[in-house]
Amino acid sequence: MHIVVLTKPVPDPAAAAERLGPDGRLDRAASPSVVNGNDEYALEAALKLTEAHGGEVSLLTMAPAGATDTMRKALAMGATRGVLVTDPALAGSCVRSTVQVLAAALRDLTFDLVFAGADTSDGGGGIVAAGVAALLRLPYLSNAARIEPDPVSGRVQVRRITATGYDLLEAPMPALVVCTQVLGEPRYPSLKGIMSARSKEIATRSLGDLGLSAEAVGGTVATTQLLGTRRPPARGATQVVRGSAEEGAREIVAFLESRRLI
Amino acid sequence: MFPVFAEVPAYPLVFVVFWGAAAFFALAMARHLRIFAAVRATGPSPLSNIPARTLGLIRYAFVQTKMFKDPRAGLMHLGIFWGFVLLTIGTANMVTGGIIQTVLSIPFDGLIWAAISAMQNVVAVGVLGAIGWAFERRLISRPPRLTYNRDALLILGMIGGLVAAELFAQVFEFAAYGDKPGAFIASSLAAPLRGLDPGFLATVFGVLWWTHKGVVAAFLCYLPFSKHLHIATSFFNIYFRKLEPRGVLPKMDLEAEDATFGLRTLADLGWKDILDGFTCTECGRCQQACPAWNTGKPLNPKHFIMGIREMAVEAEHGLPLIPNSAIVRETYGLDDTVHADRLAKPIVDDAIPFDAVWDCVTCGACVEACPVLIEHVDKIVGLRRNLVLEDSRFPAELNGAFRNMEGVGNPWGQPPASRLDWTKGLPFDVPIVADVAAAGRLGELDVLYWVGCAAAFDERNRKVARAFATCLDAAGVSFAVLGQEESCTGDPARRMGNDYVYQMLASSNVETLNRYGMGEKTIVTACPHCFNSIGNEYGQLGGRYRVLHHSAFLRELLADGRLRIGDGDGVPKRTVTLHDSCYLARYNNVVAEPRAVLGAVPGLELVEMEKNSKDTFCCGAGGGRMWMEETRGTRINESRTDQALATGAGVVATECPFCMTMLRDGLEAADMNPGGEVRAIDIAELLAESLEPAQASGKQLPVLQ
Repeated sequence: MHIVVLTKPVPDPAAAAERLGPDGRLDRAASPSVVNGNDEYALEAALKLTEAHGGEVSLLTMAPAGATDTMRKALAMGATRGVLVTDPALAGSCVRSTVQVLAAALRDLTFDLVFAGADTSDGGGGIVAAGVAALLRLPYLSNAARIEPDPVSGRVQVRRITATGYDLLEAPMPALVVCTQVLGEPRYPSLKGIMSARSKEIATRSLGDLGLSAEAVGGTVATTQLLGTRRPPARGATQVVRGSAEEGAREIVAFLESRRLI
Repeated sequence: MFPVFAEVPAYPLVFVVFWGAAAFFALAMARHLRIFAAVRATGPSPLSNIPARTLGLIRYAFVQTKMFKDPRAGLMHLGIFWGFVLLTIGTANMVTGGIIQTVLSIPFDGLIWAAISAMQNVVAVGVLGAIGWAFERRLISRPPRLTYNRDALLILGMIGGLVAAELFAQVFEFAAYGDKPGAFIASSLAAPLRGLDPGFLATVFGVLWWTHKGVVAAFLCYLPFSKHLHIATSFFNIYFRKLEPRGVLPKMDLEAEDATFGLRTLADLGWKDILDGFTCTECGRCQQACPAWNTGKPLNPKHFIMGIREMAVEAEHGLPLIPNSAIVRETYGLDDTVHADRLAKPIVDDAIPFDAVWDCVTCGACVEACPVLIEHVDKIVGLRRNLVLEDSRFPAELNGAFRNMEGVGNPWGQPPASRLDWTKGLPFDVPIVADVAAAGRLGELDVLYWVGCAAAFDERNRKVARAFATCLDAAGVSFAVLGQEESCTGDPARRMGNDYVYQMLASSNVETLNRYGMGEKTIVTACPHCFNSIGNEYGQLGGRYRVLHHSAFLRELLADGRLRIGDGDGVPKRTVTLHDSCYLARYNNVVAEPRAVLGAVPGLELVEMEKNSKDTFCCGAGGGRMWMEETRGTRINESRTDQALATGAGVVATECPFCMTMLRDGLEAADMNPGGEVRAIDIAELLAESLEPAQASGKQLPVLQ
């Protein structure tokens, strides 16, 4: 079983140092990068499946060249290798370009499943996985709460979370699955994992390697444009309720009532 | 042939009986030692620090200072110990054909031996009394810390039998054959028996004399399999004790790719760890002091050490008493090598349950309590290292703490940019080291104030930082902070077993501190954990610094007259109790300093809790427990809060940001503290409130809600 997990380096939300440069693009020097949180859940799900069924997990990332450091963190969790698509022309790519690039990179890889996180904590478009599936004509299984591939029949069953419960979906592999956090907490890498990740292969691909041209994808042909940014309004003062459980409950109920929430 | 023992029937047999038993003892001990030799061969060298080790031996083995934390038990034990030593001279004499007596009888007309005999008589009576007392503890008063099994009773019975048989053999000897000089108690007991039949007296003497030798031989054969083995091992365990500051965990090489990280099996232990196991006497002082055990958690430090011994004994199971020689191995194909598989069982879930490994607050109360200097905490952290670094097995909450420390350099996961938020609104500037260096004024700096993550990010502890900075400013101290260049010292990561994250953070801090030449300066911090790490542990990574806890620095400022206290007129009298931090008082012996600071505050009267100073009781946040849920047993901070409230004090003074959080929470939840009247206040806050108005004028003092 071969699973490719789409992973994106994003500015560490905990650092709260995310800043945009004058060109409206992320100032990557200002903030430490981490693997997008939802992608880690997808990677964890992939690792559990390959541990159970055998096989390998590969990472596919489209990012600036420095992203290998962040990819090593994902490799430390147990992925076997990584592919980094990087090209100066990709700076400022929109969702459409990202979809085209990832799809082109996936055409060169063999896999049974592609896993993606629900969305990213920086861009938050939430549409890339669906676009990739459409472009590659892969079955698209979203909101997965359980993933059960059957290597013998070559089919995969997915429990999809709905507003009222679950849908049970089945599709032939290869297929693309969008993972949720219900699948389980990502593991903390062991020291042996961290050490072995240092020597794992990260293949880099340029646009030329993928047979794409800078006129077709990337910043120059972005379909969306950033017009301006504004800080969100500052949060109001936090009211801390101290005292016994009863007093606390009474104050909370009074507060909710005052806002006509109950 | 042996004139001293002419009256003893079949005396020469003693060589067979005693020396046979002694040979068995030696072989059984040698079999234990084969496990010592098979484990990872790290341990202290017998040739290093000989003076310090010898002094320790005198202090802990011969004077037994640690035993006197329980004065009654200490007195009893010291009596038995010295009695045993004196009586052993007599026994040694009896099994060597009387050579000691013969030699010592030459000078002063036999006075020396007579004096020894007299002392032995006194001691024999004393030991019998102490044995009776020890029996009473095990059969009647039964303190909970002791282990109740046959082993203890058997050993007490043997010692009692030994002493009684020896004393009464002498009584009947004197009655039958006449007194010998010195042994006055035996003489007076023999007097009424003199009228009895001499043949009968001689027979009883013979029987008692041989009973004594029989018990001695049995004792030697039993000892290697008993907890009482401490009479042989404790000297070595004390001699080879940890001499480094207690707050220094063993150094770890993270680049050794083939090594086991941390402790997984017996093979990963050092021989000193196995010796710890064979030295444990099951007295239970560790369990009595342990905050986890006292709040109903599965961790029991005594059971852990006993478990190590049991695993070692199990590992030697089936090994022959007499080791095979090379010839036997080759000729008969018998192989008794200690193979690795004998030592391959994991320690976790054998000697100690998984949960218990994580219950430890690393407060060191067990280590402090142990009379024979067993080291529990380093082993528990060693187990955590293996669980974290190899298996990623740890309480789920730690995932966030580890990621936060690695990602943003603090366990709270706060943005580093907010590290200086605590300084906002202060009426004076808090300079940043980088700016001071850029201005070329590093030389004018008196101290670096290491703020620590808790004081930088936690709302309540920010007030402590403001109060301490106010004191520094009032005293005219030239100080600066690292600001965004400061990160967590790594202490929580290290105590939770994640030495990878610790070394990452610590090396970066060492690099920063060295870049500003802080090895030449004094670093002051209000956090005992930062204090311990920077002062004691950074040396392993090439950083050597003079670090003061804020209590020590404030005391200096008060003593030098740089901080002046208001006259205290009209200041209401308040009682205060001080909660000692484990990493300050117990680990680093900083006990008097915070008390001196409290003593300088007008109107404050200090009332001590029962567990104070080096015997303090943890708040529950040490060892990374600050970031774990406390799901087992009752809450440690509530237990400590109750102890604080029991003093009747109106204020609970703290000296550590973690203690502050834990006790603040405890006090707010305590039924005995209606309305939250008793509050936790840091010593720096209490001091800042009472600064002379002239010194504090125009300054915004810390607001205590």
